[in-house]
Amino acid sequence: MDALRLYLRLVGVSMQARLQYRADFIMGMLNVIALNAVNLGIIGILVYRFVDLNGWIVWELFFLYCLWLLGHCLYSLFFWHFWEMEEYLIQGTFDQFLLRPASPFIQFLGREVQYIGFADMLVAITGLILAYVNLDLHWSAAQWLFFPIIVISGTVIETALTLMTACIAFWTGRSDMAINMIMEFNMLVQHYPIDIFGVWFRVIVTGIIPVAFMNYYPSLMLLGKLDSNSPSAWLGYISPIVALILSVIASGVWHLALRRYSSSGG
Amino acid sequence: MKIFWSFARQAFQYISVYRFNFFMEFILTLVRMYGIYWVWRILYTQRPGAFGVSMEQMVTYGVMGMVLELFIWSRPQWYMANQVKSGAIDTDLMKPLDFHVHMLARSTGESLIGIGVLAIPALIIAYLFLDVQFPPDMWTALMFVVSIVLGFLVFFHLNFLLGSLAVVALDIRHISWAYFSLVRFLGGQIVPLWLFPPVVAAIAEVLPFKGTYYIPISIYIGRLAGVEAIRALEFQLVWLIVLVLVSRMLWDWAHRRLVVQGG
Repeated sequence: MDALRLYLRLVGVSMQARLQYRADFIMGMLNVIALNAVNLGIIGILVYRFVDLNGWIVWELFFLYCLWLLGHCLYSLFFWHFWEMEEYLIQGTFDQFLLRPASPFIQFLGREVQYIGFADMLVAITGLILAYVNLDLHWSAAQWLFFPIIVISGTVIETALTLMTACIAFWTGRSDMAINMIMEFNMLVQHYPIDIFGVWFRVIVTGIIPVAFMNYYPSLMLLGKLDSNSPSAWLGYISPIVALILSVIASGVWHLALRRYSSSGG
Repeated sequence: MKIFWSFARQAFQYISVYRFNFFMEFILTLVRMYGIYWVWRILYTQRPGAFGVSMEQMVTYGVMGMVLELFIWSRPQWYMANQVKSGAIDTDLMKPLDFHVHMLARSTGESLIGIGVLAIPALIIAYLFLDVQFPPDMWTALMFVVSIVLGFLVFFHLNFLLGSLAVVALDIRHISWAYFSLVRFLGGQIVPLWLFPPVVAAIAEVLPFKGTYYIPISIYIGRLAGVEAIRALEFQLVWLIVLVLVSRMLWDWAHRRLVVQGG
């Protein structure tokens, strides 16, 4: 509980620091919205010209995109700065987290908050509502209950994967390109249903970098595309379990990395 | 020419220091190529020969879009923004070399390395594994090369304009996200202009962005041929001249307003 209080206090301070730059805030929001609009536009044009993409119509693809984005926006709000961990390690400023009598992880987390996540959230929620209406979906109570769990699972999956990857910097000093790599797989999974890709790609995003559990598999279930006779139907339901397993592994990697840490002497 | 080579050498040294990063950059491109390859394959399996191009041509278009990103890999705007932020830009301005030419030399050097280290290997993989076709004939290949060079110069100047803004606005990080996605979209990197809805296509047709990806690749796959191809090259050339002039003017203006922090 103390950890949570400390975290909230740190995040509050970071937020105030961020809001000092009002113009930057507005520009950031506008640009993120523009970026998403362009991405959706590209998907929209493709489907407008070809009617569907392997059986996915335009609103289903938007749903896929926005479901990923909703999980991602919580990650980008609170955990985006994993990406900058290497800077702390290279410059030796990571030492400060180890000297204070509080969990280094909580201190690092509270260091930054990325308001651009709000813009992603805005786009995601708008997109999901429009998709829900246009697809004329009628979710059962169970599906409604499952929906927030999927979103949180998505956040946890992305966060755990990025944390693990960021920890590479403890060994090699650099991790940004490895994180970009995870992001690249994320991008493809966000934009396109993975059933259009070849087998090895599907194996990777299911079993090795399991980002397909952020949107693709749960979408099958939420959009009623799940064939209950198919032997792999259970994949639609296990996102929370994947999230749980990944966070256990990530926590292990983090502790291993901390033990391995030797200051660069900043 | 000597300046260009010295910057190319510098870029090469940089690459050898961050070898792992460049290897990853290469892998990223392969992933992107793989992704777009399947998107077009699936769409063209659904509707063979749609919009007057074959599946092979369309797959080539898509994959080349990803490879071309490595040809125009240089990002002078980051360099400019960093120099302005750290104040180190004053040492650049003291050099006995026009700043615009300096940036162009640096970018050209970096791109030469990008082509040699990243783009050519990516192309070989594309030819071997992703059904990418060769240009139909030598003449087309030649026009493609000319078009790429023009495309690189157009893209460089767009970047340079953004970099000049950094002098005034200081932080261009957020603008660049929208900027990059706009170039990708209006440049036709992923979806060619002939698929755009009429209104959007009309806008994209007159803007300089299509000179970066759409024109070179369309020439490559033979979609723009003969007179049309020559017209497209002229289009690139005209925009290039305009962009050079605007760049010179904007930079002069920004230069006068330049406030060096610390330094």
